[in-house]
Amino acid sequence: MKLRKVLALTLAAAMTFSLVGCGSSDDSAATTEETTTEDAAAEEAPAEDAEEAPAEDAAAEGGLTYGSITLGEDYTDITTTIKWIHHKTDREEDGTIANMIAEFNKVYPNITVETEGVTDYAEDSLLRLSTGDWGDIMFIPAVDAAELSTYFVPYGTVEEMDQYINFADQWKDAEGNCYGIGYMGNAQGLLYNKAVFEAAGVTELPKTPDELIAALQAIKDNTDAIPLYTNYAAGWTMGGQWDAFLGAITTGDETWLNQKFVHTAEPFADNGDGTGAYALYKILYDAVAQGLIEDDYTTTDWEGCKAMINNGEIGCMVLGSWAIAQMKAAGENPDDIGYMPFPITVNGQQYTTAGPDYCYGINVNASDDNKAAAMVFVKWMVEESGWCDFEGGYPISKTAPTSFVFEGVNVVTNVTSLEGEEDFMNEMNSESELSFNAGGDAKVQAIVEAAATGSKTYDEIMAEWTEAWNAAQEACGIEVLY
Amino acid sequence: MAAVTQKTKKKRTFGEWARSRDGQKVFVMVAFMILPLLLLFTFTYLPFAEMFGFSFYKMKYIGERKFIGLDNYIKVFQRDDCFGALKLSLYYMVGSVVQLALSLYLATVLSFKVKGGNIFKGFMFFPYLINGIAIGFIFKFFYTRGFVFDTVLQWCGFELENLPYWLKDQSINNISLVGTSVWRYFGQNMVLFIGAIMSVDSELYEAAMLDGANKLQQFRYIILPSIKTIITLNVILSITGSLSAFEPPYVITSGANGTGTYFVIMHEIAHTQQKVGLASAMAIVLLLIIIAATILQKLFFKYVFKSAEDEDLNATAKRDKKLAKLAQRKAGR
Repeated sequence: MKLRKVLALTLAAAMTFSLVGCGSSDDSAATTEETTTEDAAAEEAPAEDAEEAPAEDAAAEGGLTYGSITLGEDYTDITTTIKWIHHKTDREEDGTIANMIAEFNKVYPNITVETEGVTDYAEDSLLRLSTGDWGDIMFIPAVDAAELSTYFVPYGTVEEMDQYINFADQWKDAEGNCYGIGYMGNAQGLLYNKAVFEAAGVTELPKTPDELIAALQAIKDNTDAIPLYTNYAAGWTMGGQWDAFLGAITTGDETWLNQKFVHTAEPFADNGDGTGAYALYKILYDAVAQGLIEDDYTTTDWEGCKAMINNGEIGCMVLGSWAIAQMKAAGENPDDIGYMPFPITVNGQQYTTAGPDYCYGINVNASDDNKAAAMVFVKWMVEESGWCDFEGGYPISKTAPTSFVFEGVNVVTNVTSLEGEEDFMNEMNSESELSFNAGGDAKVQAIVEAAATGSKTYDEIMAEWTEAWNAAQEACGIEVLY
Repeated sequence: MAAVTQKTKKKRTFGEWARSRDGQKVFVMVAFMILPLLLLFTFTYLPFAEMFGFSFYKMKYIGERKFIGLDNYIKVFQRDDCFGALKLSLYYMVGSVVQLALSLYLATVLSFKVKGGNIFKGFMFFPYLINGIAIGFIFKFFYTRGFVFDTVLQWCGFELENLPYWLKDQSINNISLVGTSVWRYFGQNMVLFIGAIMSVDSELYEAAMLDGANKLQQFRYIILPSIKTIITLNVILSITGSLSAFEPPYVITSGANGTGTYFVIMHEIAHTQQKVGLASAMAIVLLLIIIAATILQKLFFKYVFKSAEDEDLNATAKRDKKLAKLAQRKAGR
């Protein structure tokens, strides 16, 4: 252990020194003499660049906050290189990220941003995080709320951050600090092809599970399109997408997902009115059992499905709003791609939840300069880059322009967990092995398998889940309240 | 080490000793050994020891650990999915038998003079050179409904309606996956076998031919005994490999639809469910199973090849004896 730490430290030190070297030679070429001297001072004693602006002063002293940064004015004197690891390999490849960094460097020429796109991000990032060797900015992976302060720098209190961004409470610790800012928001709904729905004679968007199944049946009867494409083989398209509707969308209750779910004795019971978790996964089971999905679900092709829905070969897919941009770009009929609220109606009202995608987190072990540079970069990305809107995402910044339109539904956010209960969901997920919203793809795939082969009825599956859930509640010592 | 030598040979100072032949020998030995041993220790034994430690804890990758003794091991034996997954290994074991038989047959054929033998060897060895992940993607498309495999079968006169869904149908999807693994590894086995067969003295064949032995008898009495070491090795590797099959199910079906082997389940438990302790215990249990299987096979082969164990020392003598026996039998007939 010690040896490893020593090695890691030596490496880190070597890298830091080499970076400092690069930075100073770069900036002397790029900036005026005055700033160069300031830079030198800042580099030698980053904690003491006191006499500049009062706001920065506090920041350098450890009071660095998101709100105190004025983009384009503060920290223009920092010369450093920061590293950002992220999961958007597609945007890395098509140059979007490089373009944004180039724009950023027009304002902050002295901050060099290195990026690394990680393919298997959800797993790799956790490993990288535990080794400590990952750079300055990362998209926060699945860590327990209690661990946040061990790894990341707070942006400010959640209360304060609420003025600037949506979803400030996504990553908060017990003290109410905000550790993560989303790069874009996702609204949850159903991605569909308008032309296919029209051709099938479905004029009104379905609002309940029964109406959706009827619509899918109409597509099957009247068109050649696949009514519902499951994307079973990709895995993440099952658990990751279906679980996202748990909570306010299925129950109309904003507190259900993060506060009541873990305490519920029978979360998967049939409400009888087409609501709740039961109704949600039943849509999938019924669609598969009635042959409303693709012929061979084991060989679905994620890249291929984009062009298929664009060309009208697919009726609908269960995907977050983030997918809209990709589906539109995949063919010649971008205008056919539509996005509808999920067809579950609770007491006559449809809900959609919006939440952040991956969130920027800043390494708490970075140098003060790098922390400041990283926060400047994050703020610029959120407020100025326009990335969120480019991806078709639900807005993160409360002030940046957006083109996201989603009418006729109640947009809500699942309220975060109660104080002291932040880790309950993670513990329950791990213990029950159902992993809701945490990579639990296998359980949703199992629904498809059971429905296709008829090996289990839907009620049997739900009974198994309930059993696993109750056993986990006992193992974790979580009280059953509902 | 130096200190000890210093004490025993008091006449020489350390400097002298270090320059002497003895000293140089020790230095060279240490210098050559230390690097591989250090690497072996750091990347094999140390992580293994850590994993063994993990198996007694209830833990995630990050966060607190709680010591729970043997609970993880008990769970491994209680859970249906852990040992249920080992049943899938039977598919892979049957596959490895097919694979070995096929490769032994081809190796024997190719070790005699065959037109274009080297080209065939090359073609059949080629799959082994492809990356396992790439093979996974190739076969995903290969088995897709109406794609490569179905098309080829349709050329052969099959109707698409009568063909099964290679990956969807749970009664055959494991066989499809085993097929990919056989396709990948039989070439490598074959090359190993050819190598071993090449080392057989060609005079033996001539002698056998003079005595009127046919090709099958040559195989049975000359080739098979001569390459038994390499056969044993290949069988052990294949069985071990089938117990720990991972790539085909992970890449092609991601372990869904009843194709999750022990390794895939372990991966799921460790990385999705974050039960690192339990997964570590599973790994240790699998290790014990593999050790047991290896010992059993050793015993089995000892029984099958009986006294032929010390082949390397007096192989020729024994071959002569066997040839003599063969000749006797011929004469007696």
